[in-house]
Amino acid sequence: MKRSASALIAAASVLIAAGSMAATRPHYGGTFRIAVQAAPASLDPADSSQPDSFTRRNVSRLIFDTLVDQDDRGILQPAIATSWEPEPGNQRWHFYLRPGISFHDGTAVNSDSVAVSLRTANPNWKVFPTGDSVVIECASPDPWLPAELALARNGIAKREGGKLLGSGTFAISHWNPGKKLELSARDDCWRGRAFVDSIEIEMGRNFREQMIELDLGKADVVEVAPEQAHRAATEGRAVQSSAPFELMALIFSRDPQTPDEARQRQVLALSIDPAALNNVLLQGAAEPTGALLPGWVTGYAFLFPSEADLSRARQLRSEIRYAPSWSLGYDASDQLARVIAERITLNARDAGLSVQLTNSGTADFRLVRIPLASLDAALALTKLAENLKLPQPKLASDTSSDLYMAETSLLESKRIIPLLHLKITTATASTVKNWTTGRDGSWHTQDAWLAMEKP
Amino acid sequence: MANDRHSAIYNARIPQMPSSRSRFGRAACPLFIILLLATYSAAAGNWASADEQLAAKIASVIGPGTAFIDFANRSSLTRAQTDEVRRGLLTELANHGVRFANAEQAAASVKVTFSEDLQNYVWVAEIHQSSNESAVVMVSLARAETQPAAHDAPAVVIHKALLWSQPDRILDVAVIDGSPAHMAVLEANGVNIYKLQDTRWQPEQSLPVSHSRPWPRDLRGRLMLRKDHLFDAFLPGLFCRSTAKPPLALTCYESDDPWPLGTDQFALNAFFTPARNYFTGALAPGVGEQTAAPSFYSAAPVPREKYTLWLFAAVDGQLHLLDGITDQRAGKLGWGSDIAAVRSNCGSGWQILATRSGSSSNDSIRAYEFPDREPIPVSDPAELDGAVSALWTESNGATAIAVLQNSDRYEAFRLSIDCSR
Repeated sequence: MKRSASALIAAASVLIAAGSMAATRPHYGGTFRIAVQAAPASLDPADSSQPDSFTRRNVSRLIFDTLVDQDDRGILQPAIATSWEPEPGNQRWHFYLRPGISFHDGTAVNSDSVAVSLRTANPNWKVFPTGDSVVIECASPDPWLPAELALARNGIAKREGGKLLGSGTFAISHWNPGKKLELSARDDCWRGRAFVDSIEIEMGRNFREQMIELDLGKADVVEVAPEQAHRAATEGRAVQSSAPFELMALIFSRDPQTPDEARQRQVLALSIDPAALNNVLLQGAAEPTGALLPGWVTGYAFLFPSEADLSRARQLRSEIRYAPSWSLGYDASDQLARVIAERITLNARDAGLSVQLTNSGTADFRLVRIPLASLDAALALTKLAENLKLPQPKLASDTSSDLYMAETSLLESKRIIPLLHLKITTATASTVKNWTTGRDGSWHTQDAWLAMEKP
Repeated sequence: MANDRHSAIYNARIPQMPSSRSRFGRAACPLFIILLLATYSAAAGNWASADEQLAAKIASVIGPGTAFIDFANRSSLTRAQTDEVRRGLLTELANHGVRFANAEQAAASVKVTFSEDLQNYVWVAEIHQSSNESAVVMVSLARAETQPAAHDAPAVVIHKALLWSQPDRILDVAVIDGSPAHMAVLEANGVNIYKLQDTRWQPEQSLPVSHSRPWPRDLRGRLMLRKDHLFDAFLPGLFCRSTAKPPLALTCYESDDPWPLGTDQFALNAFFTPARNYFTGALAPGVGEQTAAPSFYSAAPVPREKYTLWLFAAVDGQLHLLDGITDQRAGKLGWGSDIAAVRSNCGSGWQILATRSGSSSNDSIRAYEFPDREPIPVSDPAELDGAVSALWTESNGATAIAVLQNSDRYEAFRLSIDCSR
């Protein structure tokens, strides 16, 4: 930003007197106090028993580096690996490692430690250390391996005597599983030292508690529930949102067993109005969708209609001789899920279907929220199917046409009804500067800093 | 999507990082540059191949015969660019024996949508035939990261016309249409009125402004033409209102009333810090429900279908995007302190003029569009012989006033957007 030097000098003198010379240069020092809802019992990126969440990914990225990074456009960037190449067939890949990277205990990140870490996270892979590179052999050809290595779950960790060490920007100072994590900035981080000295993350805080802590000055960064994002903004809070990147959808536990059951699912899909859910329950903070992947990732999501068609739903319903009552499961601790589930039962009733809410694990279908895995559309679709135990999409390539056909095929299975793509929103205290949220919900903490004094 | 997205790639080393694999390090740079150039080349308007592919795919479905073709643009392509693609596609379809008819008479109907994903343009054709089910075909081609227009013929050109030049600081200029035309020049000590006579501006009247408080350094001010009187002048801590007709008089009083940021069409006011050179961030009436933005130097509206996105060039050096719900930052754009919106017949119909950040003595101004949340440059930078000290949208919304400060003078230019070339 440019204004005349004389004006800056004049303004600066006043600003100094006011004690808040904050504008341009970041300050080093201070502690980010972050409150989150998730309460992971383990920080191990490879621990698949822990549910995936944006929080878990973000915390993991503070501590652990991956071989490959993915930027905000989904383009792969070097991280621990400076370069990579496949052998013909894309089944064996070579990753060449950056020298001079160390774990938090000072030991070097080398091909041996990388191989051990990746084998732990991916038992199906064969990983060989070869000097300053590692060779990864997958069970089958995998053109998306580099993108997969950018996932937080493939963070390079050293597991030693019950301790977890990474090579990331922050080292673990104190860890009380599921409750509190304290991290300290590494002066010798290969990416450059963070501006803040430390980060304290309070876990297991619901959204209301988080907002109170922000208001009381006990937290600097908190999560905002999607349905509260609009209100938080209108209250004048500093809020940051990702692109719509979390899929909210209905998942059926099994394939339809009869044509009537398939038709009944179609009636349900046609009865739900995602736009109304978004406008009424989320104040427009999400994106209604008929697609699994957001349009800004694929470019073709508009081909999957998301509009309700009640008259068509009723017509189809009239063609079904017997439509059994269904149970709809949802996460009882998720307030948004509860109100949306309730709305779905009403929509279904309007179309002549009977749907009962349940908290049991044996529901006919469930309302779920799925953090998409990657900005790489092909990998995101593959992981989505894997997580939901849907048939793996057949992707001959990652062309738009192939992706579209694969997504169409998944939707035609009638196992899933997409509803909304949600944004991930954080609110920050006024002292937090340059805090940004990536399109995929990732925290960009490296450039964030704390103003020394409140304005 | 690019087929080579996941094929072998060698990444350039991060500078200053030693590498024992210098062989690969050396190989990385030229290959990376070649890939980069190839990407830019594809995005630079080399759409003939994609037109050809899409036409072939459509023709393989509908065969020779009559078709109704409809187009929609969901991408960051400008109108001029989509026109070019559309023409190419229609030509290719005609080469495949497709004849164009209106919807009622055509055997097939094809809706072509220009869309995009994170890295590529995605062109989708939805085909409907009376006898068959619908079909979808698509092609994609790489698009440049942030500056597609820089590698293409510029979509628009910024025209600048010198209005006035003087040694004293010019804060703002307003041209009053009429016969003859008049011009009001706002400066630190008042408003000078000029009359256009024989293609030259001749002094007509001087309206002094008195103020009790010293002006801040980097003084700023704004003129707004009004309907019920001639103009209002906004200065830090001071508000002045003119009479309606000549001989003009100016009434000024101390006021912290908010300054207008937009035009009558997109009205938004903001409170100016009386002893500084920026707006406090408090807005009136606000953007949707948002009544506060970060402290900022300038702001510009981007009209959307159902709302107006407001851009704020903030004191924190970032561009903030307020949509009535969220405050998003647009990352490191390299923009300067001053932005202004201009209405035109080009592209989406509204362009943002933005100065360039940096400490060079000479500035430039460039036009951008905001198809989503990231700016796309649509013009080459207009290099200026001096530093921009003011940039305001004129009351008509179709032009902007830029004031340049060079070594010994201030020059006021009227900026407009042209895409007729």
